[in-house]
Amino acid sequence: MNNYILSKKTVVNDLATFYSFLIGLIIGICIGSVILLIQDQNPITVFSLMLKLSVGSINSLSGSLNKAIPLILAGLGISIMNSVKLWNIGAEGQIFLGAIAVNLIYININISNSNLFIFILLISGFIGGSVCILLPAVTKVVFGVNEIITTLLTNYIIIGLTVYLVNGPWKDPKSLNFPAAAYVGEEVYLPTIFGKLSSGFLICILFTIGAYYLKEKSVFGYEMRIAGGSSMTAIYAGINAKQKAFFAMLIGGGFAGLAGAIELLSQTHRVSIGISQGFGYTAIIVAAITGMRPIGIFLVGCLFGALTIGGAVIQTIGVSSYIADIIQATTLIGALVSQFFFTYQIKEVKDG
Amino acid sequence: MVDIQLMGLLNATLQAATLLFIAALGELIAEKTGILNLGVEGMISIGAVTGFMTAINTENLFLSIIVGVLSASIFSSIHAFVTVILKQDQTVSGLILTILGLALSSLLGKKYVGKKLMVKIESIRDIAEPSNILEVLLNQNFIFYLAILLMITTSFVLKKTMFGRRLEAVGEDSTASDSMGLKINKTQFIGTCVGGAFAGLSGVYLTLSYVPYWTDNMTSGRGWICLALVIFGGWKPYRTALGALLFGFLEALVPRLQTYGFELSPYLVKIAPYLITIIVLVILTIYKEGKTGAPGNIGRPFFRENR
Repeated sequence: MNNYILSKKTVVNDLATFYSFLIGLIIGICIGSVILLIQDQNPITVFSLMLKLSVGSINSLSGSLNKAIPLILAGLGISIMNSVKLWNIGAEGQIFLGAIAVNLIYININISNSNLFIFILLISGFIGGSVCILLPAVTKVVFGVNEIITTLLTNYIIIGLTVYLVNGPWKDPKSLNFPAAAYVGEEVYLPTIFGKLSSGFLICILFTIGAYYLKEKSVFGYEMRIAGGSSMTAIYAGINAKQKAFFAMLIGGGFAGLAGAIELLSQTHRVSIGISQGFGYTAIIVAAITGMRPIGIFLVGCLFGALTIGGAVIQTIGVSSYIADIIQATTLIGALVSQFFFTYQIKEVKDG
Repeated sequence: MVDIQLMGLLNATLQAATLLFIAALGELIAEKTGILNLGVEGMISIGAVTGFMTAINTENLFLSIIVGVLSASIFSSIHAFVTVILKQDQTVSGLILTILGLALSSLLGKKYVGKKLMVKIESIRDIAEPSNILEVLLNQNFIFYLAILLMITTSFVLKKTMFGRRLEAVGEDSTASDSMGLKINKTQFIGTCVGGAFAGLSGVYLTLSYVPYWTDNMTSGRGWICLALVIFGGWKPYRTALGALLFGFLEALVPRLQTYGFELSPYLVKIAPYLITIIVLVILTIYKEGKTGAPGNIGRPFFRENR
């Protein structure tokens, strides 16, 4: 009797992830078109409008890139944690705590040199993100508690804390209907580079290069990969796997926290529930779709930022903005399916 | 008077707990076969919206429940296909299910926002202000009793029947199960779809009974609590039900706190269930030296080749 089993291909095309992404994107756009057709919309009109309003002018292009910043930074954080084979589902909460930390420092200290002040605020955002993941990190390293669930639950704790702060201690009496904290002063706004593009994008480029170096080129990145691979290998190599996991988690959380700080200082200018609109979850898609590669995360992050803006603007012609979410999600499903065919082969074996 | 208030709280607790418990039980079954599905939130949404749409258009409750359950189950087969057949990452796939489910349900339900439901799943006996426990129990609808039945059945099947033992064996050690001749892929596929069906029932309960209307994101994070409940319950149906009661109680308590004259901020009380789950999770892990009751193979794809 002949049996068919799956086996991993010995040679996987170097560009497999990239091709999978392209195939996934085509599938995503096709499914998006079908949904638009069902809703009596012409997909070509809708997509060209999306394209025009997301990258068609300096203003819209810079808006799209602004949206990409949190996706890229949080995505990089997720990919760093993935080096030690850990999942960070808590980027959403880390973004919020990053913004909360910025506001906390802003209220309590005052530095006249605004450049220095912005620098300190950005650092406090990073630390805020790290603090957010501290509980999952400690419980993971010390007791071995599953980090997927703890990082996920901290999201709800932090969002609950945000709601509490903007309705209670930090509530700005001037914001009547929408609970929010008071605006930060203009002296700590991040300057813009061109159009509406905030200088946070430069930080983003810097951190992408940093994450690439950290993951692929540095000793720490190499040790992280061994620590995440096999515990025996790590022991033989004298690598403290728990310590690597702990620091990878703190750094990963910090990246997302920084995203929250930039979002606050360049976009919303105040703490509210609108600091993140699911960026932390979309960032997981961005990171997963690229196979956790920093450069890929940067590029796909830009694309998804444009897609989000495009989705938001087509609401004006009566198309649901959820079409963008659906395209993003189905792109990833398509990429996963094609990834399968790049990495596995179906082998025929003779039993007995 | 106090009695009526207390019974009102109990009533709300049971309703909130039913909603959480059914989906959590489904997730428990899926996880028992070794498949972690983070898409509970999305599956509940799909069940909720399709059930609601059918109810508005046909005013046939039985049909609405069937449609809600089936569509959530079919939706969950995406996860089954990607993780069981294609062996891709379960975390990523489950998360897509949540994002896709929320987006799709908002898209489908767009025309139904604010529409009034003419039919509703009736309670056994409608009592406006139940004054004793019996009346509270009678005030629940049949899905509440179905949930109890499902709890008993699931526990029995998992512990006492050959089918249940096989199911658990697959999740515990798929390689050993495979050499025993069990069908790994089939078991996991069915487990995932059953989980989806349960989540769908939860969704139907949400829109046809708990809050009989439809708005975007009305699951509001309950799917994630279900995932926490499974861990809280140590992958055991009865303990999961206990967890559901606790979470349901907190959900019911929050809007009532002020009438009881407490100064606690309702926003902070809402955080409590999540904190409690983390604490319970940590205690369970320490107490049982890492044996939280989690199936041995959870989250790990199975390869025949590894045999």
